[in-house]
Amino acid sequence: MQVLILEALLLLFLIFITVCILISKDILACTIIYSAFSFCAVLTYFMFGSPDVAFTEAVIGTMSTIFFIAALKKVDRWCK
Amino acid sequence: MGNNKMKKPFGGIVLDSSFRIIIPFTLVYGIYILTHGEYSPGGGFQAGALLAVGIVLVRLIQGADKESFNITGAKAIVCAGVGTFIYAATGWLTLAGGGKFLDYTFLPVPMHHWGELHALGILMIEIGVTVCVMMTIIDIMDAIIERLDADEDEEVDDCER
Repeated sequence: MQVLILEALLLLFLIFITVCILISKDILACTIIYSAFSFCAVLTYFMFGSPDVAFTEAVIGTMSTIFFIAALKKVDRWCK
Repeated sequence: MGNNKMKKPFGGIVLDSSFRIIIPFTLVYGIYILTHGEYSPGGGFQAGALLAVGIVLVRLIQGADKESFNITGAKAIVCAGVGTFIYAATGWLTLAGGGKFLDYTFLPVPMHHWGELHALGILMIEIGVTVCVMMTIIDIMDAIIERLDADEDEEVDDCER
């Protein structure tokens, strides 16, 4: 039962983070919140019993955050 | 210009101290993930991504001028090809041993138990995958940074005109 509640909380948190990314106007903030999304996805995968996918997501989440921030130097930070 | 101010200082006491701890740990952990991937979560792709994170972190901390693991884009492309070649060469070795493509039981090495042969063959193709993934990620990073620098130079030229 406690595990179910934790899973539900994690999934709700994932939806909440996604909505935050959608309504945010600052692309740098979007990138940082996306890394939080990646972390919650890691916890979710781990809870659903696939540590392999969780490990991949952890590494690739770090990687893609670095890439996005590096690419952000060229893009305008505020979207209108 | 704000960009030049941000561009100049790499390093610092906190970054250099954490560099000495984090980078060796990341690289050794990547090798562990690669070799121990048979019994625990992990494998070629994860190990390659982890090693690439280590190299990219070196680049982020020390800058392109005095980085310790100096792997540029051209070298990375060549090494990615070498990784793919290792994968294919394992298959060709099994063909030379008289079996089908990637049929590890026919690897031409003096081991007779099929379990050992399977472990050896999987380790070989995972080394290939690791090298390919690691070098591809490093090359993507290099491409992004190089393109940004090139664009910046063009902008400076435009301003001077």
